[in-house]
Amino acid sequence: MKKILVIFQKEMLDNLRDTRSWMTGMFWALFGPLLLGGIIMLLGNTIRENVEESLVLPVSGVENAPSLIAFLEQQDVIIALAPADPEAAVIAGDINVALIIPPDYGEDFSAGETAKVQLVFDSTRQSAIADISRAQSLLEGYSEYIGLLRLSLRGISPEVMRVVQVEEVDTATPQSQALIFLSMLPYFIIFAIFNGASPVITDATAGERERGSLEPLLINPLPRGWFAIGKMLSAMPFATFNLIITLAGFAAIFRFLPMEELLGIQIGFDLGPLAAVFVICLPIVLLACAIQTLIASFAKTTKEAGTYLPFIGLIPSLPGLALAFLPVKPDLWTMLIPTFGQQILINQFLRSEPISRMNIVVSATLTILLSVVITYIAIKLYEGERIITG
Amino acid sequence: MIHVQGLSKSFGKVKAVQNVSFFASDGQITGLLGPNGAGKSTTLRMLYTLLKPESGTAQVDGFDVRQSPLEVQSRIGVLADARGLYPRLTSRENIRYYGRLHGLRGEALEEQINSLMLLLDMQSIADRKTEGFSTGEKLKVAIARTLVHNPKNVLLDEPTNGLDVMSTRAMRQFILRLRDEGKCVLFTSHIMQEVAALCDQIIIISRGEVSANGTPDDLRKQTGHENLEDAFVAAIGSEEGLM
Repeated sequence: MKKILVIFQKEMLDNLRDTRSWMTGMFWALFGPLLLGGIIMLLGNTIRENVEESLVLPVSGVENAPSLIAFLEQQDVIIALAPADPEAAVIAGDINVALIIPPDYGEDFSAGETAKVQLVFDSTRQSAIADISRAQSLLEGYSEYIGLLRLSLRGISPEVMRVVQVEEVDTATPQSQALIFLSMLPYFIIFAIFNGASPVITDATAGERERGSLEPLLINPLPRGWFAIGKMLSAMPFATFNLIITLAGFAAIFRFLPMEELLGIQIGFDLGPLAAVFVICLPIVLLACAIQTLIASFAKTTKEAGTYLPFIGLIPSLPGLALAFLPVKPDLWTMLIPTFGQQILINQFLRSEPISRMNIVVSATLTILLSVVITYIAIKLYEGERIITG
Repeated sequence: MIHVQGLSKSFGKVKAVQNVSFFASDGQITGLLGPNGAGKSTTLRMLYTLLKPESGTAQVDGFDVRQSPLEVQSRIGVLADARGLYPRLTSRENIRYYGRLHGLRGEALEEQINSLMLLLDMQSIADRKTEGFSTGEKLKVAIARTLVHNPKNVLLDEPTNGLDVMSTRAMRQFILRLRDEGKCVLFTSHIMQEVAALCDQIIIISRGEVSANGTPDDLRKQTGHENLEDAFVAAIGSEEGLM
């Protein structure tokens, strides 16, 4: 068994000298925190702007509807002069929304007929949605207000017009909005683990074959399977290192970005939960190294391995991405699926929800079990002739 | 001491080696001669435990390659056809890795590495990373790691392939030296002159089978040709693939 250590030490030395490879792997560890930090800053800014600032509404034909303008100004809207071509300006993204009041508005309005105005906007532009819906609801409010006045003048109770009154009870808080994006965090963590291991494993398996050093290596007097184990183990420090870098990156973001100010929430990612997430992810380190050792052992060249491995990292992290949009309850069955269970658990830690010990144990056990099975298959592969003949 | 009896191996429908038998004794150089694709390397690969024979037996110092591969592996030093090094490790680290995989450690290992480096005249490249080494320099590292555990049996697959004249001469001297140390040397070649110049025993393989076996004198007698080159051609049945 000491000889496994010999393989481990050699692979560590060899791979640490391959600075470019593990630096590339480390980039993927920082990718998640940087991306999520960027999203939070953007999202935070839009939320803040919408709440705090008054709507600036470019209007064309202000002189055609003085009472509408007065109403809007009362509602804290800042009326601006619309550009000559409002539609072009909206398309170009210079303004979010524009109101066009045609010259015959006043005539229709005075005659008690339906007076038309145009609201110009692009409904696919996420950042404009708040402005658009605010302009829409203000215009509808004005329309209803005048309508009710007219009915009263004709002696009809305004209640006639109000068949159903909808009271909206929205349970979403700014916090839960922001948490949608935080749910992507497990995805990035798993991605970072896989990408930490893959350059090392590629070099130690497919690279060994490509260099022509595999055949002489296997003639050394130790059970063939030990080579698979030694190589797999040597990737684990790199995967763990990536895990730590990613977690540190996220912790730094939550600490140094003004989360309270940006999203109106505080995220509990102190040392305690951080350590817990680290421990929860350790079985994934094992799994990532086992799967990639197996897959890369089939590959004839590092180039071939390089085409497989990114996908391998993507598959277990996909459920995490889905979790961002389809919330799943932490039932026991979800813990039976390696990597999926951990992603749910990480989410629970982020939301400071109570976590069942049972779930942690079950998800870790299943993941370790799967890793052992995969390692066994890799050992069998090394014992066969295929590893040499290709 | 290597004893092969009735060894056979096929890949799919291709019968690479059929019923090959021979005996290579200690203190002798045994050459496996044959055209490219005759089955020399496959025979050697079964001997050094990389491929499993379909039938027949192969023994090294009395240990069967199938039953006790680890015993066989620690008694042989192999210069395989694939002789890749680790480019980010120095010559010394490359050799040390193999020494440690053979269970050597500490002073004894370092001394053995130093003496091999002296023998192969490679002190100047000892602590350089092997990236960018010439073919000859790479071969020296590969030979040193082959011999790091001082094996009794040395198997060399086409050892002079790709070497220039000077390196080839040095290689031949080295093979003779191994014999004089009392080792059992088994090497493959498709170069008649090389085999004729070095070998105490010649085994001619063609199309996966042994077509002649014996000392150079035996071969001359068996084939009735005074010229050894003619004897080889007669034994193989054609001149194809020989140099």
